[in-house]
Amino acid sequence: MPRPQPRTITFTIDGRDVSAPENTMLIDAARQGDVEIPAFCYEPKLGQPVGACRMCLVEVEGIPKLQTGCSTPVKDGMVVYTQGERVKSAQQAVVEFLLLNHPLDCPVCDKGGECPLQDITFGWGGGISRFIEPKRHFVKPLELSPLIAIDRERCILCYRCVRFSQEISEDYQLVLLERGAHSYVATFDGHPYVAPFSGNIVELCPVGALTSRPYRFRARPWDIEGAGSVCTLCPAQCNVTVTVRDERALRVLARENGEVDDGWLCDKGRFAYQSFHVDERITEPLLRDGGRLRPVSWERALQQAAAGLARAGASTGAIAGDHSTNEEGLILARLMREALGSPHIDSRRASSLPLELHRALGAPGLQAKVSDLEFAHAVLILAADPVNDAPILDLRLRKGVRRHGLTLAVASPAPSSLDENAATTVRHAPGAGAIFAAALSAALTDDEDAARLARDAGAEPEAVRELAALLRGPVDDVPDTGETPPREVVILWGERLAAGPNGEAGIRALLKIAEALGMGGVEGAGLLEVPATSNGRGLREAGALPNAGPGLSEPASAGRDTRAIAEGLLDGELAALYLLHCDPLRDLPDSELWGRALASAGTVVAHAAFLTEGIREHATVVFPAEVYAEKEGTIVHPDGRIQRLRPAIAHPGSVRSEWQVLAELAGRVGFDLDLLSGAMASRQLFESVPFYAGLTLEEIGGRGVRWQEREAAASFPTPAGVTSAAGKLEITDTPADALELAGFRSVWDAPEVEFSPALGFLFPHRELA
Amino acid sequence: MAATGAPLLLFTDIDEPGLRTLEVYERRGGYESLRRALEMTPQEVLGQLEASGLRGRGGAGFAMGKKVSFLPRGSMDKYLVCNADESEPGTFKDRELMQKTPHTLIEGLVIASYAAGVNCSFIYIRGEYRLQADALDAALSEARAAGFLGENILGSGHSLSLLVHRGAGAYICGEETGLLDSLEGKRGNPRLKPPFPANQGLYQGPTLINNVETLSTVPSIIRMGGEEYAKLGVETSTGTKLVSVSGHVTRPGNYEIELGIPAREIIYGLAGGPPEGREVKCWFPGGSSSPVLTAADLDIPYDFDSLAKARTMLGSGAIIVVDDSTPILNVALKVARFYRHESCGKCTPCREGTNWTVKMLERIASGEATPMDLEIMASVQEHIMGNCLCVLGDAMAMPISSMIAKFRDELEAHIESARASRGLEGLAGSELVPVAQGAA
Amino acid sequence: MSTVPRYDHGSRVPGWDRPADLDKDPAGIPDPATTEVPDSLRQEIEAHMANYPESRSATLPALAAAQRVHGWCSPEALEQVACVMGVTPAYLESVASFYDMLETTPVARHSVYVCTNISCSLRGADALYEAIRQAAEDGAGGGSDINVRSFECLGACDIAPMASVDGVYVGPLTESDVPRLLEDVRAGRPVLAEKQLARRRVADPRANTREFPPHPIEREREGD
Ligand SMILES: Cc1cc2nc3c(=O)[nH]c(=O)nc-3n(C[C@H](O)[C@H](O)[C@H](O)COP(=O)(O)O)c2cc1C
Ligand code: SF4
Ligand code: FES
Repeated sequence: MPRPQPRTITFTIDGRDVSAPENTMLIDAARQGDVEIPAFCYEPKLGQPVGACRMCLVEVEGIPKLQTGCSTPVKDGMVVYTQGERVKSAQQAVVEFLLLNHPLDCPVCDKGGECPLQDITFGWGGGISRFIEPKRHFVKPLELSPLIAIDRERCILCYRCVRFSQEISEDYQLVLLERGAHSYVATFDGHPYVAPFSGNIVELCPVGALTSRPYRFRARPWDIEGAGSVCTLCPAQCNVTVTVRDERALRVLARENGEVDDGWLCDKGRFAYQSFHVDERITEPLLRDGGRLRPVSWERALQQAAAGLARAGASTGAIAGDHSTNEEGLILARLMREALGSPHIDSRRASSLPLELHRALGAPGLQAKVSDLEFAHAVLILAADPVNDAPILDLRLRKGVRRHGLTLAVASPAPSSLDENAATTVRHAPGAGAIFAAALSAALTDDEDAARLARDAGAEPEAVRELAALLRGPVDDVPDTGETPPREVVILWGERLAAGPNGEAGIRALLKIAEALGMGGVEGAGLLEVPATSNGRGLREAGALPNAGPGLSEPASAGRDTRAIAEGLLDGELAALYLLHCDPLRDLPDSELWGRALASAGTVVAHAAFLTEGIREHATVVFPAEVYAEKEGTIVHPDGRIQRLRPAIAHPGSVRSEWQVLAELAGRVGFDLDLLSGAMASRQLFESVPFYAGLTLEEIGGRGVRWQEREAAASFPTPAGVTSAAGKLEITDTPADALELAGFRSVWDAPEVEFSPALGFLFPHRELA
Repeated sequence: MAATGAPLLLFTDIDEPGLRTLEVYERRGGYESLRRALEMTPQEVLGQLEASGLRGRGGAGFAMGKKVSFLPRGSMDKYLVCNADESEPGTFKDRELMQKTPHTLIEGLVIASYAAGVNCSFIYIRGEYRLQADALDAALSEARAAGFLGENILGSGHSLSLLVHRGAGAYICGEETGLLDSLEGKRGNPRLKPPFPANQGLYQGPTLINNVETLSTVPSIIRMGGEEYAKLGVETSTGTKLVSVSGHVTRPGNYEIELGIPAREIIYGLAGGPPEGREVKCWFPGGSSSPVLTAADLDIPYDFDSLAKARTMLGSGAIIVVDDSTPILNVALKVARFYRHESCGKCTPCREGTNWTVKMLERIASGEATPMDLEIMASVQEHIMGNCLCVLGDAMAMPISSMIAKFRDELEAHIESARASRGLEGLAGSELVPVAQGAA
Repeated sequence: MSTVPRYDHGSRVPGWDRPADLDKDPAGIPDPATTEVPDSLRQEIEAHMANYPESRSATLPALAAAQRVHGWCSPEALEQVACVMGVTPAYLESVASFYDMLETTPVARHSVYVCTNISCSLRGADALYEAIRQAAEDGAGGGSDINVRSFECLGACDIAPMASVDGVYVGPLTESDVPRLLEDVRAGRPVLAEKQLARRRVADPRANTREFPPHPIEREREGD
C-alpha cells in the first residue's frame, strides 16, 4: 500500500502558530509547538485512539464542547487552547476522578518516580481531593503470570493492556471483565497471561498496576541508569534500553525504532537479561584438564589456545554464531586467513552457496526493509516462522494486515501463528521448502513442471497456482491508466530455505520468483531474509564465509563450510576448531555428526557464556564470553541496517572482550592485527567492506543506518543481472532435508531463556535430542 | 396550538385481535405505504421524509430525513439498524408497538431502507423483551414469505435482509455506537465520534440508526404525504408522539399525543394526575436522563423546543411523575444508582463520577453528610457534563444537578435531620460502611 | 482481622481478588479435538454465525444459547462457545460479564427480575422485591431454586410494580400476589395469568375505537 504523504499545515495553539503534518492528532501536533497535552489512554502504537481517559481535553474554537486532543485531527487554521480555565478545570476533574480509588501508595510502588499518573497529577491536577469515602482495597499484588504482577487497586482503566492483547499481539487473553466502576483487567477463569509478547503491557501501563515480577522492588528510578543498545538474542535486533544499577542489568525496556521494532519487545528480549547474572554464567577462562574443565588464569588459557591453534595452523576450522559482532567476524576471519593461513571459516548453518548467489541475494536493489512488511501489497512467508525465528516481525505483519490491508501468504510445513491473519496458507512437506520455492517459481513462469514440483514438495498444485496468482495480484481489473504504481511484494524467507541438498536450487528459485514478480529496484518490494543467527547478515558481509572475504569479495582461496568443517574434523583433515558463540551440538544441524566431529578434534577453542552440552563435553579451552549488554561493536539487521552495540554493564568476573582475545591470540601465533580498541576494530571493518566505506560509529548512532541507503552501496558487487545467477534448477528427487532442519531452533530454545529464572518456564522441552 | 383530540396514527385500534398477523395488518391497509413508496424513487421517498419534519423518537430528536440524507450514495455495504433497546427508565412505548403491531415497524423499516439504499438491516431489541422479539420474529417470517422482505421486494429491484438481534441487558446498548459494538458481538462500549455511524458504523460501513417509533411512523408519512404530516404538531416538532407516563399518576400507560399540547393535559388530562390528595412535586419530561421540572412547569407545551427552552428535554417521551410523598433524595439515589450500574466504564468522568455521586447521596441518607457535600456534588456533576465519551454520564449529571438546584432546601434539611437522628452513636460506627454495593 | 474496610463484593464483582493460577496453561482458542460441544448447541451457534455478515456478531445469541444449556455462562460453557466460534474464552467472558442477563456465576434455573427502578419504586417496588426474595428463600428451605434479583427498568412502568418471571412480564403486583407467583413458577404454570402484560390494553382511551376481547396470554417460547 502506498504510504500516506501528509501535507504540512499551520494551526494556532495557545496563541502561537505551529506547523504540523495535517491530520496528526492534536496531542502530537501540539508537541511541535512545545505544548504538552496530558494523556493516559492515548498510545499511537496501539492503533486508533479510543478517547477513554478524557485527560486530553482541550478547547477548539468553534466547537462548543471540549475535545479530546488524542482524537482530534489537526486542520489548517485550527485554533486551540490548552491553558484556559475550562480546560484546566476539566483536567483537574479528570485527575481527581482517577485518584478517587487510586491507593496513592507511591512510596512502595515500582512505578514511583517514572509514573505518568504521578507526573500528570503533579502537572495538571488540582492538588487536593474532596473524596472522603473509604477507598476500595484488594489483596495485592496478584500474579498475572510468572512474569507479571497485577495490582488492581492502582489500575486506572486506561485499556492500554487489553488493547495490546487484542489489537497488537492479538492473543485475546487479557480482557476487561464486568462493567462500569466494577471493571477490572483479567484473564479467563484464572488462567495466566502467557504469550510471546506479554511483557509489553508492563511498559504500557501508565501506573504501577502491571509490574515486572523480576524487577519488583529491585530499584528506584533515581538509582538506575538507562543504557541504549541492541538486543542480539534473535535476528530481529530490537532496540533496547538496559536499566542498570550497580553494573547489573535489572530490566530491559523497548527503545522505539519504527524501522526496527515499532517499540515492542518479545518476552525473551525483555526478560532474558536475568541470564546475564546467573551462577551458570561462565566468568573466567576454563581449561580441560583430566577430562574436566577447570578455571585457569587468562595467561594459561591464552597460551594453551595459541599453542593448539599454532599446531593446527591451516588445518583449523572456525565457526561464528549468535551474538558475534561484525568486528568479531572480521577479526576471526583475519585470525584464520592471515594468522593461521586457514580458509575454513563459516557463519552459516545451511550448506554453502556459491558466492554469486550471496551477492545476488544481497543486491541493494532487492532488499526489503522491516517497514515494507507493513505497507507492502503482499507478503509471502517462506521457510520462516516469525514468532519463533524473529518474534517482533510477527507483530509487524499483524499490524500490516490489520491496519494497512496487507495481503499475507504463508507457506510452511506446519501451522503457524500467522495463519489466522493470512489470506492464504499453503502447506508443504517438512524440509521441502526449496522444492516448494521451485514449484512456485515454476507456477509464476508458467513452467509445465509446476504441478509436478508442487506434488514433490507435498503441496497442492492448485494451492501453489493460487498463491502465484495472489502474489501477482489483480492484473486486469484495474484499467491501465498510464502510470500504475508497481506492485510491492515482499518475501520474508528463512535461511533454512538454503538447507539440505536442494538448498542452492531453493535459492535460485527464490531469485527467479523475485524476478518474476518484478521486485528488483521497486521501492517497498524485495526479499527479507531471516538468518539463522542474530547477526547472520553482518557476519557474511564481514567475510565470515568460506567462499567470501570482507564485503563478499573473492577470497584468496575457498575453504570448508560448516558441514565440511565437521567432516574435516572427522576424517582428520582438520585438527582444531574455533567456536565463537557457537555450540555445534545445539546450534548446528546434524548433532550426531557434530558429536563425533568434536570428539575427534584435537583442540577446540570456544567463546561461550554458558556451559552448554557441546562446550562442556568437548571444548579444550573456554574463554568466558560477553553477553550483548557488555559488547561494543556493530551488527547488521537482516534488512541491512547497521546497528551499534554499546556496553551497558561491566564485564562480570574476568570476562574480556572477544575482539581483544582474538587479537591477543593472533599476536601469540605471530601476527599483529593492529587492534588496540573496539573502535579501531570498527574502523577496520568500515575500511574492509567497500559498501560500508566512510561509515563512522557516530553516523550509525542510536538508530542505525541502512548501508543500502548510503552512497557507498554502489560498490556492492551486484552480479550483472541478478537473475542471470538463477540458471536451471536442479532438484534432487527426495526431500530428505528434514534432518538438516533440526539445527534451526526456535529463538525460545536458548540458554538465555533456560537460565533466566523467571523466563525459564518458556524454555521448550526438546523433542529431538 | 395543537389539541388533545389529535388523530391517532400509531395507536389506532392497536388492540384489535390479530393485528400482529399479516392478515389483519394487510386487511387494514398495511403495506400499502410500502407499495406506494416503491413506486417512487428513493429520492422522492427521502423528500417525503424530509418534508414531514419527523424528528427521531429515540432521545436525541435529530431530523430523520436529514440523517437518511447523510448516508453516502453508492454501492458499498450499508446498514440500517432499528434501535429497539428501549432501556431509558420510564420508557415503554416501543414495547407496545412491537408487541401489537410489529408489521408497522417492518414496513417502515423497508421503506427507510429503500430511501437510504440499504440492503441489510437489523432490529436490536433488548433481551428482556422476549414477547416482543417473538412477535417480531413471527411477523418477519410472514413478511418474508409475502415478499415484503428479502430479494427484489415486490418486484422493485430493492432487496433487504432483516434480522432481529436480541440484546442481553445493558442500558448503554441503546446509545447508538454502544449498540453497534454490541451488535458486532463485543462489549457495548460507545465509540468515539467522529466518525459518525452514517459514515462508519456497523462493520465499518455507513449505518442509519433509528428508533422503533421513528421507523414505525414512516408508513403514516408515506400514506399522508410528508407535508400533510408536518401539519400535525407544532412547527419544529411535527406529528404525534407516543408518551409513556408512569410514577405517581392514576392511569399510567402509553398515550399518543400531538406534539405541542401542554404537559398538564398529558399528566392530568390523560394520565389522571397524582392520586387523591397529592400534588406533583417534580416530573421528568423525557425519561430519567432529563432534568426535572416542577409543578410550576406543567403548562409548558410538550414539544422538543419548548422543553429545551426550559433547560430540559423531550428525550424518549417518558414522563415520570413524582408526587409530594416522596423525598427528593430517594429520587436522586435511584437515578444515580441506575447510571452507576449502567455506566460502561470506558471513560473516566462517567465511571468515577457516577460512583462518587452515589456515595455522596448515600452519605446524605445515612446522616454522614454536611451541606458542603451538596457543593461538591454539584461541582462533580459540572465536571461530568460535556466531558464524557458518550452522554450517559450527562444523563445522570443533568437530572442530579437539576434536583440539587431545584430542591436544595429540602436536601439541606434532609442532611440536617439525618445527622441529628444519627447522633453520636451513629458516628462511632462509621468505619465499616461497605464501600460499594452490588447491583443497585 | 483487619480494620480496613474491605470491599463488599456484591454479585457483580467476583474476581477482583483472584490471582492467576500459574499451574494452568494460558487460555487460547480451545482445541476442537479436545473440547466437547453438545451437537445441538454447536448447530445452534453455527446457525447464528451464518446469520450475520461477520460471524462475531453471533456472540450474544451464542452465549444465550449456552446459558440455556448450562444454566449459566460457566467456564465450560464459555469454552464450548469459544471453540465453535474460534475465539478465546477470555473474549467471551469479557462480553458475558458486561451484560446483566448473562450470568457469570451459578444461578438457579428460574429467574424473577423485579424492577426496582424509579417508576416501579415510586409504586412500592422495593418492598415488593424484599417480599419476593424473602418468600422465595423461605419456600426453598434456605436453598435457592429461584434466582430473585432486582433489575433496572424493564420497560413496563405502566404495570408498576412489576417483575419479569422467566421472561414473562407480570404486574401490577402486590405483596399478596407473591405466594401464587412463586407457586406458579415452581409448578411450571403460566405465572399470574391475569396479570400478564401480554393481556393488557393500551392505556390511551382514544386508541381503540371498538370493544376488543382481551389478548390471549403468552404461549411458552420454543427457544430462539
Ligand atoms: C445512554 C443512551 C441511551 C440511549 N438509549 C436509547 C434507547 O434505548 N432507544 C433509542 O431508541 N435510543 C436511545 N438512545 C438514543 C440513540 O443514541 C440514538 O440517538 C437513537 O437511537 C437514534 O434514533 P432516532 O433518531 O430515531 O431517535 C440512547 C442514547 C444514549 C446516550
Ligand atoms: S459516558 Fe459512561 S457510558 Fe458513556 S462511554 Fe463514558 S463510561 Fe461509557
Ligand atoms: S488520551 Fe485522549 S481520552 Fe485518553
